[in-house]
Amino acid sequence: MNVQVEMPQETAVLELPPEIVKLQIKDLNFFYGQKQSLFDVSVSFAANAVTALIGPSGCGKSTLLRTLNRIYNLYPGQRATGQVLLDGEDMLGPRVNVAALRARIGMVFQKPTPFPMSIFDNVAYGVRLYEKLGKADLANRVEDSLRRAALWDEVKDKLKESGLSLSGGQQQRLCVARGIAVKPEVLLLDEPASALDPISTARLEETISELKRDYTIVIVTHNMGQAARLSDHTGFMYLGKLVEFGETEQLFTNPVTTRARDYITGRFG
Amino acid sequence: MSTSPAPRLARRINELVFLAFCWTATAVALLFLAAILWSLLSQGIGGLDLDIFTKSTPAPGSVGGLLNAIVGSLMMCVVAMVGAVLVGVLAGTWLSEYARDSHYGKVVRFLNDVLLSAPSILVGLFVYEVLVAPVKGFSGLAGSVALGLLAAPVITRTTEDVLRLQPTALREASVALGAPVWRTILAVIWKSARGGMLTGALLAFARISGETAPLLFTALNNQFLSFDLTKPTANLPVVIFNFALSAYDDWRRLAWAGALLIAATVLTVTVVARILAREPRRS
Repeated sequence: MNVQVEMPQETAVLELPPEIVKLQIKDLNFFYGQKQSLFDVSVSFAANAVTALIGPSGCGKSTLLRTLNRIYNLYPGQRATGQVLLDGEDMLGPRVNVAALRARIGMVFQKPTPFPMSIFDNVAYGVRLYEKLGKADLANRVEDSLRRAALWDEVKDKLKESGLSLSGGQQQRLCVARGIAVKPEVLLLDEPASALDPISTARLEETISELKRDYTIVIVTHNMGQAARLSDHTGFMYLGKLVEFGETEQLFTNPVTTRARDYITGRFG
Repeated sequence: MSTSPAPRLARRINELVFLAFCWTATAVALLFLAAILWSLLSQGIGGLDLDIFTKSTPAPGSVGGLLNAIVGSLMMCVVAMVGAVLVGVLAGTWLSEYARDSHYGKVVRFLNDVLLSAPSILVGLFVYEVLVAPVKGFSGLAGSVALGLLAAPVITRTTEDVLRLQPTALREASVALGAPVWRTILAVIWKSARGGMLTGALLAFARISGETAPLLFTALNNQFLSFDLTKPTANLPVVIFNFALSAYDDWRRLAWAGALLIAATVLTVTVVARILAREPRRS
């Protein structure tokens, strides 16, 4: 029998060395109207790495993700306080150009959301918003994005067909391609595989591992195996607080907080 | 106690009585519909010939058709629809995308619903007071405005309804790429909802194509073929109204033919709208 002698810690958040930090969150609080759903979250995400956010439903991991590109601004009752520093620059400030921010921080959602237009236009949609590319350049960008999302070989002969004609897994990779076509610096993935079958999930995971060479990736997932396979760092959240954050291997094999240990060993969640 | 045979029998009898009542009510309703269609077809089909589409409304006893009324109705409906689609689509979009939960939005939505069920004769009277009486002249344009006022609330309502059905994730996906909200609406949301929006417009068209009351005070009528909407303009509903009440058999035959024409148009438009609404959508 394994006896713990030292008192387990309440929270344990690893500080990353500043030179590898891409995105730094400081004292972040989030409110849905009157209801507070994030409490003083402070954490850093490393460049060219995958950070996974895990925790039981309603723990605030998706909310955290949604503050990073300020998508919550669409809804009048929602607000955030604190700081989100992208390369040291505060993104929550009132003078930030939110549309330009979103072009720097891409997002892929839980369910595939192809637009009702051709596969080509789906990928070109975001590019056309910010860049005036010639026909050939645009075609190159679309091809490059589809290749990175590991979808090119399956769609290269039917770029003019509707994005809605693809299978669920292909649609999700189309959304990834659409997200990286605008050349963002950070990619946020909100349970991107939860609506996919195991084979599509495996392909998407391969894609994500490939993408980390060029992007800072933050992924919210319910699937702990996925977090363990994909990520370099993992944050465990509970009731709106970041309970533990550290190297993925360390957090999964030797969590320091009781909550994280209970969750990872399957005692709750 | 519920397993004893007596209540079970009672329950079956109750159910049978209720079913019989439903069947009868349905049959009565269908019977009237069939009777209407039958009288339309039997009386109208005889008057349907080429003259209907090539000649204008005649004096009693001479040969004629409904050309002036068909042209006038088409012109007024088209003008009305152009205005109503413009207003309705924008208003519906505003209600769904910008004012969904706002107080002002709720007030506008309520007023639109009131307008939606306003009696058409009231709308006609209103346009008469505003556009006909001051210039002392009936006109096709006034008729178009009256018809447009009837169509716009329908389109507003259907547009709002189909836009609300579009998934939130679709909006967020576009916004997350850095697209402004207006661009998201134009390029993604409208595109995704276009089948439903078109259906709404077609149903509005079907509604106004048979309206008589608002045209009596506004477009009035015109015995001759005219393409000038600033003048009184012939139209099918008012021609039917006048001819059906007349003492002349040939006029009454033309009225039936016109009624059949409107019914056929409405039926076609409704069927097309149904097909469009069923447009397959993969998720």
